Amino acid sequence: MRPVVVAGAGMIPFERRDEDTLVDMMAVASLKAMDDAGLGDRAVDAVYVGNMASGLFNHQVSVASALVDRLSLMPAAADRIENGPASGGSAMKNGFLAVASGYADVVLVVGGEKMREVIGPKATDIVAAMTHPQAEYIYGVTLPALAGLFTRLYMEKYGVTREHLTMVAIKNQENGLLNPYAHIRMKITMEGVLKHPQAHINSPVVADPLHLYDCCPVSDGSAAVLLTTEEIAKDLKKPIVTIDGVGQATDTHTVHERSDPTELKAVIESSKKAFSMANAKPKDVDVAELHDAFTVLEIAESEQAGFFPLGEGAKALERGDTRIGGKLPINPSGGLKARGHPVGATGVAQIVELTWQLRGEAGERQVKKAKTGFSLNFGGFGNNVLAFVMRRKS
Amino acid sequence: MNTITAYKCKQCGLVMYPHHFRCLKCHAREFEEITPSEKGKLLTYTIVEQLPWGIDERGRVLGVVEFDNGVKALGVLHVENPKMGMKLKAGWDCVRVIGGEEVYGLTFQAA
Repeated sequence: MRPVVVAGAGMIPFERRDEDTLVDMMAVASLKAMDDAGLGDRAVDAVYVGNMASGLFNHQVSVASALVDRLSLMPAAADRIENGPASGGSAMKNGFLAVASGYADVVLVVGGEKMREVIGPKATDIVAAMTHPQAEYIYGVTLPALAGLFTRLYMEKYGVTREHLTMVAIKNQENGLLNPYAHIRMKITMEGVLKHPQAHINSPVVADPLHLYDCCPVSDGSAAVLLTTEEIAKDLKKPIVTIDGVGQATDTHTVHERSDPTELKAVIESSKKAFSMANAKPKDVDVAELHDAFTVLEIAESEQAGFFPLGEGAKALERGDTRIGGKLPINPSGGLKARGHPVGATGVAQIVELTWQLRGEAGERQVKKAKTGFSLNFGGFGNNVLAFVMRRKS
Repeated sequence: MNTITAYKCKQCGLVMYPHHFRCLKCHAREFEEITPSEKGKLLTYTIVEQLPWGIDERGRVLGVVEFDNGVKALGVLHVENPKMGMKLKAGWDCVRVIGGEEVYGLTFQAA
């Protein structure tokens, strides 16, 4: 396989974007990635669009074809890739394979979702459509509900407390304050969302034991990267950042069929595969972007991706290891919790953040001397997960 | 009583719900259809305050139950103070209205 370089990265701020269509958002993020790469008018061979549910959110399908038209990229190959909240990660994998295999020399990968076109309960229902139709969906299961079932077991088994969950939210919202692309840019305190007698008003229950500030917001947004070969990238001005490892793994559709529901097998397997392909180990990683759609997931993933032993993720959080400036900064972007989670965009936004971090372009949230990065994009409730290992080469 | 249909692998005995075309453990394709036993224990639960479009209620309790015969399934709990490990008795009731049609599923009460 040929090495794959992230030559360009760009995104638009994640927020509620009533004025933009989905394709507009993706086009603007794409132009930013193309301009960042500095490849001029060189043809793009293929476009992979990560999007979960434009048909349901926006009543528009075939959005990859629409995007190449808006960008005048014809006759580039164009596909929309759907893998739930890991659609962005799956689009990244397809773009990686296209360059690595020699099928394409220049590939645009775009993730985008416009979720706020529908009201909150409708968005909740659309996202819940990824659950099992007979065994889960009919009961009113939502993704926060699946996370609530998981969180109760994780807290009981590993001694994770609501203080720990809130510490994730506080850390990631502090990081979000340093990220101009973040949806939620607000400092929160343990007192305000957990300890105060009226904290339940600030952070009401969503799916007990998870409260509002344990959950990512519903966002609109798009992120894009331009992938190419080392040969083409060698004359570009930016530091060379490569995707060295890609892993993907699946688990049962329903959460209740897992023999130990606290074990996220797809996280474990996808991470192992990505580290193996990159010939790297978790201890080599300087910065990680994990899929903290719910605060508990950052703790569980930090353990099961291999960074901390089981049950030690919350202790690492307590010690400050996962803050910017700590031993392993996790989610310097603010993560899904603060940057936001336009579902199809997230997996690409994680790669954009790592690219900026590895190049040293992350501004106030820069992790010093970051050479190796890791991202995890968690689809379904852990039934389809992608992991990536990236390195700075020059 | 109406209930769900679960599947017991004829080769390795694994009990599954919902249906798979191949056994999760041994990949065999032959299953015996079984129904859950009357009672089970609560493995985990959540109280959902923000339900999706189409369910006009708050505070719905959802739980995963392991029946005495090994079937595991999710259902709606009609229980005041759910506790992990508590014994529950299964029922069958309308759990959601989809497209104007009542959809029936598992409900549970304290045993």
